[in-house]
Amino acid sequence: MIPATMLTNALLVGAVLFCLGLVGILTRRNLIVMFLSAELMLQGVSVTLVAWSRYHGDWGGQVLVVFVLTVAACEAAVALVFVLQAFARTGRLDASAWQALREENLPRVIDHELPADDRVVPTWPHLSPAGVLPEGDDSRSLERDHV
Amino acid sequence: MDPVSTATAAPSGLLLAGSVAAIAASLWLLLPKASDTVASRRLGFLLGAVALVGFAATGRSLGCVGEDAVFLTVAGIAVISGLATIVTRSPVYSAIWFAMTLAGVSGVLLVLGAQFLGVATIVVYAGAILVMFLFVLMLAQPSGMAPYDRVSNEPMLAAAAGAVLLGLLTLSIGRLSAAEPPACCRMPSRAQAVAAAAVPADGAAAKDDESTTLIAPATAGGDTGDANEVAHLGAELFGRHLFAVEVAGVLLLVSLVGAIAVVSRGEATETDHRREGR
Repeated sequence: MIPATMLTNALLVGAVLFCLGLVGILTRRNLIVMFLSAELMLQGVSVTLVAWSRYHGDWGGQVLVVFVLTVAACEAAVALVFVLQAFARTGRLDASAWQALREENLPRVIDHELPADDRVVPTWPHLSPAGVLPEGDDSRSLERDHV
Repeated sequence: MDPVSTATAAPSGLLLAGSVAAIAASLWLLLPKASDTVASRRLGFLLGAVALVGFAATGRSLGCVGEDAVFLTVAGIAVISGLATIVTRSPVYSAIWFAMTLAGVSGVLLVLGAQFLGVATIVVYAGAILVMFLFVLMLAQPSGMAPYDRVSNEPMLAAAAGAVLLGLLTLSIGRLSAAEPPACCRMPSRAQAVAAAAVPADGAAAKDDESTTLIAPATAGGDTGDANEVAHLGAELFGRHLFAVEVAGVLLLVSLVGAIAVVSRGEATETDHRREGR
């Protein structure tokens, strides 16, 4: 049994997680990120269920969360297979790649403005040599140029 | 509602509206857009921090957020990494931020006293499901950052919708905490009910019966959960919900077979040809 303040705390956290997942699944276009957002919503619901379960001293909520875990595992397996198949067909993880499936009277989504090619030069961590300096030829640097 | 709560509702409503607006603005600034600059993203982070503080203050004024430092820490980790999950451009980083969210959620569950579920979240989600996501990302990652990772669908509308939904949920949760349910509507705690049922029976006989001692509450009034939490959950799961457990097992098997069936498209492999040749 938990006090009522703890219940409302947990309910607030669950609500925040649910809304974040909702925004993610509405806006993001990468299929895998959309899927992660759905899992985020599931986490929010799980927190809410456990909070109510603990508040009432009833085990039903926690049992339901166990089944949520199970179904999430099944869903991830099956859906990721579909994502892989879709990627094999289009070469993209883009949800908009499948807009040929839209309704007949709906307009086609066209990316009017694409981001400028901001290909970021990766900054690798600077590893300072530590411990005993190994014997070696001085001509080769100890730092790697990539990780 | 008593007059005290209605009196405190007015300033908290203003605060709530402000933090909802800040949440919407920061989500809109942070979500990937074509016209993103470093400055706009920094402004988004700043507004997000403001929104978080405002939201916590709103919850405080509604009488929600307490001073439990552990809870606030793990909840903050969960919320901040949940935000990072949906705004990060790279899907790999997104998955890793989601792992961080799972750590936070597991902490929240532990604070709530659900020890088994806290551990199971880490083991099942972070250990199995997330690794599966990362495998798929490695298999299906085009080289470089894809344009669709840096453009999102209707970020402004979605951010506004999410923030408004969050505000509504907060309001209803606040109303829930303001109004204590009358005694007739309060559900009796299950542990108390079982204890009440167990008392009239012979005490010595009840002690011998293992199932009764499993279900009977050891520490009914404990705040942070009892020592036999896992045993209780197991007794409930394999007692009342045994059939559902069986169905869940069948579901796991079916999804496994289905996943394999979808991947292998039914084409004859080389070994099949060799077998037919024999």
